[in-house]
Amino acid sequence: MANDFTSYAWLVPLFPLLAFLVLIAAGRQLREAGAYISIVAMLASFVLALLIFFERLGHTTDYTWNQLKWLTIGDFQLNMGFEVTNLNALMLVIVTLVSLLVNIYSKGYMHGDERVNVFFSYIQLFSFAMLGLVISVNVLELYIFWELVGVCSFLLVGFWYFKPEARAAAKKAFIVTRVGDVGLFLGMLLLFWYMPGHSLDFSAIHNAFSQGKIDPSIATWIAILVFVGAMGKSGQFPLHTWLPDAMEGPTPISALIHAATMVAAGVYLVARTMDIFQASPDAMLVVAYVGGFTAIFAATIGTAQNDIKRVLAYSTVSQLGYMMMALGLGAATAGIFHLFTHAFFKALLFLGAGSVIHAVHTQDIREMGGLAGKMKITAWTFAIGALALSGIVPLSGFWSKDAILSAAFEHNQLLFWVGLIAAFFTAFYMARLFFLVFAGKPRSDAHAHESPAPFTFPLVVLAVLAVIAGFVFTPFNGWLGHWLGDHAEAETANWTVMILSTLAGLLGIGLGYVMYGKNSVSRDIVAGNAPWLYTLVYRKYYIDELYDVVFVRGLRLIGKAFELFDIYIVDGIVRLCSAAVVGIGRLGLRLQNGQVQTYGLATLLGLLILALALAGRRFFHLG
Amino acid sequence: MDKLPLLTLIAFTPLLGALVLLFVPKQQGRLIKTIALIATLIPLVLAAALYAAYQASGDPVQFKEMYSWIKIPLNKEGLEQITSFFFEFKYNLAVDGLSLPLVFLTALVSAMAALASFHIKKRWKTFYICFLLLETGMFGVFMAQDLFLFFLFFEITLVPMFFLVGIWGYLDREKAANKFLIYNGIGSAIMLIAFLIIVATVGFTMTQTNNEVILSYSGDIHQIAHNLFQDPNAFVNQAKPNNPFFMSDTMKWTVFLMLLVAFGIKLPIFPFHTWMLRVHTEAPPSIVMIHSGILLKMGAYGLIRFGVLFFPAQAKEAALLLGILGVINILYGAALAVVQREFKLVLAYSSISHMGVVLLGLAAFNTSGLQGAVFQLVSHGLISALLFLLVGSIYERTETTELGALGGLAKSIPFMSGILLIAGMASLGLPGLSGFIGEFLAFVGMFGTYKAVAAVGALGIILAAVYVLRGVLSITFGPIAAQYAGIRDARLVEAIPMITLVAFILLLGIYPSVLSEPLQQTISGMDQLLHSAAGHIGG
Amino acid sequence: MSITPYLTLAAILFCIGLYGALSKKNAIIVLLSIELMLNAVNLNLIAFAKYGPKPGLAGQIFSLFNITVAAAEVAVGIAILINLYRNRGTTDVTDMDTMKR
Repeated sequence: MANDFTSYAWLVPLFPLLAFLVLIAAGRQLREAGAYISIVAMLASFVLALLIFFERLGHTTDYTWNQLKWLTIGDFQLNMGFEVTNLNALMLVIVTLVSLLVNIYSKGYMHGDERVNVFFSYIQLFSFAMLGLVISVNVLELYIFWELVGVCSFLLVGFWYFKPEARAAAKKAFIVTRVGDVGLFLGMLLLFWYMPGHSLDFSAIHNAFSQGKIDPSIATWIAILVFVGAMGKSGQFPLHTWLPDAMEGPTPISALIHAATMVAAGVYLVARTMDIFQASPDAMLVVAYVGGFTAIFAATIGTAQNDIKRVLAYSTVSQLGYMMMALGLGAATAGIFHLFTHAFFKALLFLGAGSVIHAVHTQDIREMGGLAGKMKITAWTFAIGALALSGIVPLSGFWSKDAILSAAFEHNQLLFWVGLIAAFFTAFYMARLFFLVFAGKPRSDAHAHESPAPFTFPLVVLAVLAVIAGFVFTPFNGWLGHWLGDHAEAETANWTVMILSTLAGLLGIGLGYVMYGKNSVSRDIVAGNAPWLYTLVYRKYYIDELYDVVFVRGLRLIGKAFELFDIYIVDGIVRLCSAAVVGIGRLGLRLQNGQVQTYGLATLLGLLILALALAGRRFFHLG
Repeated sequence: MDKLPLLTLIAFTPLLGALVLLFVPKQQGRLIKTIALIATLIPLVLAAALYAAYQASGDPVQFKEMYSWIKIPLNKEGLEQITSFFFEFKYNLAVDGLSLPLVFLTALVSAMAALASFHIKKRWKTFYICFLLLETGMFGVFMAQDLFLFFLFFEITLVPMFFLVGIWGYLDREKAANKFLIYNGIGSAIMLIAFLIIVATVGFTMTQTNNEVILSYSGDIHQIAHNLFQDPNAFVNQAKPNNPFFMSDTMKWTVFLMLLVAFGIKLPIFPFHTWMLRVHTEAPPSIVMIHSGILLKMGAYGLIRFGVLFFPAQAKEAALLLGILGVINILYGAALAVVQREFKLVLAYSSISHMGVVLLGLAAFNTSGLQGAVFQLVSHGLISALLFLLVGSIYERTETTELGALGGLAKSIPFMSGILLIAGMASLGLPGLSGFIGEFLAFVGMFGTYKAVAAVGALGIILAAVYVLRGVLSITFGPIAAQYAGIRDARLVEAIPMITLVAFILLLGIYPSVLSEPLQQTISGMDQLLHSAAGHIGG
Repeated sequence: MSITPYLTLAAILFCIGLYGALSKKNAIIVLLSIELMLNAVNLNLIAFAKYGPKPGLAGQIFSLFNITVAAAEVAVGIAILINLYRNRGTTDVTDMDTMKR
């Protein structure tokens, strides 16, 4: 099959970039048109991405173009370009689709905001960067876009710049991910020096590592450093703290960037550089354990949060942990598959949450309730998303979670149980969320009503996808795995895992129902009996506080110490030198008293000394 | 085009402008500003032409202009076989890949600073005369191919700078000017001594043609490099007794360290940095644009041109020291920038941090490191010029740059806030903007040489994010104070330089080949030199 | 007749003059002391002219010159002093420190 569309893949990120430039240049004059320009640009990208995707269906070889001379370092030439692999093609579709839906949604959500075009321009810039990241041909190009999506995330989290919380959250998001980025940066530098011919191309990396040309200990270093970068972006413990705070941004952004696309970039990065990880079993183990720990850790926090978006944010962190765990276990397809399904149902959940927030003007789930009757579409689609996330048959989340859990079951029993317990918690907090928001009686007298079409259309589309997206890769249909080139995964139906995971999901939902739906079990059962445990979870294990003390204050302390050092020691020495010069000058000044007689005396003394010296020379026969 | 003395034209148009200004009555503010602006725009256009006409391949030293200037016959008593014996300094200008970008940077930043200086409040005439004199000095520094000429231009920059800081600065301006002059004066003195030693030893050449024997002392840097590296028969390389021209290793080390200190003060290298903090805070912002954008680069340029290229073996042995100094600069500057309450001080310390990256690239002693150092020089020149341009414009409106007093300016001045954010992002090394390329190349280089040093230095990347965001967000984000709600956004005369600088920052970041192409010849030449020097050490 | 007594006398005169010039407060006395030193010099000149290794008239003529110059010097000096006294009302040399300012 020809590469008719694939060779134009570079156009996919270009449409949003053009839209961005138009929006930035024309800005305020555009008014309503800004939203339409954005939607059209994204639609164009989506259509092209879809065409590429279908074209790729029959392909197994990658399409690479890297002829753009970018930088010359001595006799080494660094080129840029783009690459379309099957994985990339899939990512392109996910990103463009979610971005398109979020653009449509934003038209409703941001209606009336005076900086709406700025908002759309940021989204376009983000889409450009994210799509560029996906089709990057080498690690440096990926890193460039990687940082760029980080900036867009920063800009959008801080979109309501006048809110101090938004400012703090934006700053935190940038700095914490930056910590991870430095890891990726160093990993990239190591790659540069150890790759044959300094090549940073993904294809070259694939060749070098799969053929074992790189020393395993170096591979471990590189893999760990790259993973640190992925940790920062994908909110893996211990760099997860920024993601929940990032919910200060507008809700469509939370859906697009902090649920479906950017945060998944870490997972994508690891999947893309899987060869490096596979060259190092230690690194794989680290990835798996960090992922598993994050999955259960964030899931427990999610059970105690009261902000609707924060619950979803912790859920995102937890699900990303799942994906990482899958990658660490060597089940790349399962990880990517979960990324794929998660993008849909988590975007759906966030957009649903946005619809709710739009209706009731609060984010606190304790103040909501009984919305199911008033917001039918939102409630139904939200329910689908929640069930998909909880892993209920036959929704998409079930299949992807099942793929991960069966991989864990085969390779690492400990992680399997961790994943299972996390699945239980997931189901529990989703049930809690759903019942508190949609069931029961209204707890505030806001006049909630269903949101308009720009809200509901994306919800319905995503709900449909959340239902069906799972069927591309089931134990009975391994198509996705083959297409992504992962032949190792000849999936067989593992009934034990399926039953256990379904049980965990149902158990969680059931517990949520009895506690929050029927109120037959007291909600304060944990808070009442073990308040310390509740507080610990509610305060997110005090990680933020710990970081504040250790890093924020620590850095400030070091800075202050250096400042004192700078003022009193470094500059002090300078002042001492100048004071010494001034002192000597003063001493000389005392002689210059204007008294001719003193001068005369000094001259006389000088003359005497000279005469004595001359006489002395004579005397000692030194002349 | 061949015969047009392009470099002379670039270097002396500002001086010509200053001469014209002498005859303009001082009340004619508008006329004075126009003349000054024209006198900076002409070199900018010419420098752009120069950049375009520069051949990326072939001999990297191009646009040579050489005239005999000062020639002092020396006493040749007792040297009857000698035809002539003299002391010669030439008017000798040229550019290579190293100085070409800096010449263009100088032209660009100077023109932008001249625009930004439009709002100074007093004594325009004297101001612009000093300003143009300063520009000529800077051009000369980057073009001079003779030690004496270099020193002359180097000193020419000091005097106008002293007055520019001392007369038009803020409250503590005189102290700042004095500190500037004393520090740099000491640096120049040390540099002069080092240069004299070089001229008196390496600069001594004997040329023999048919029946003529010519002895000369010269400051020509190509002659010096020739004597040092290519001519084993040169006096400087002959370790005979009673050869006063021989340079022992100890002597080379001494001179190298002297140059390191002399240019280290200018760069500035910790612990010689305290003077530039004062200049950054007290000088008028448009002058800080020049100071931070170009004058600091003269230190790095001198260090590369004379320190590293004349004494590669010594520099190579001192590489670890340079690298560690670089890391100290990066981290020390960054840690201090994090706690400053005054935005100008944040920027001042960030300059120290960024100059550390230059040192790091130098210390790597490979092509990517050297290239990274040059990129970082150019990029930091653009970025700090932009930042101080913004500082000046913001200060004009708010009369403060204390971080605690400002906030929420994105509401009243969205354009300037956006530019400030871009400048900040460039400063923290965001890919796609120029700051990243320099950092990337420098770290790549250093990683090839000393991994641990580079890894520690990379912490600076995180800290850069912390201090830049802290500074920028404190100014633009958050709730706005009532008294700033009504301030006006950038005027056209302010917006033009901002957009121009942003455009160049973007260009360098998106397509770095524009800078890396003309650099290659020079960099690979330097690299070869350094490698052969390393061979000497091994052998 | 030996040269020694003349030279001794001249040395004593010179030292007295020097002491006076360096230590006295009154400007007139300082001026007088300077005259004393000059005269000591004259004495030496004449003594050497008469009893020195090469006796001749040059020394004596030179001392005549010296006397003339000294007279002129005193005249100018006194004139300055009088003017200073008129302006500042003092002849104390410790007050004459305008050079310092």
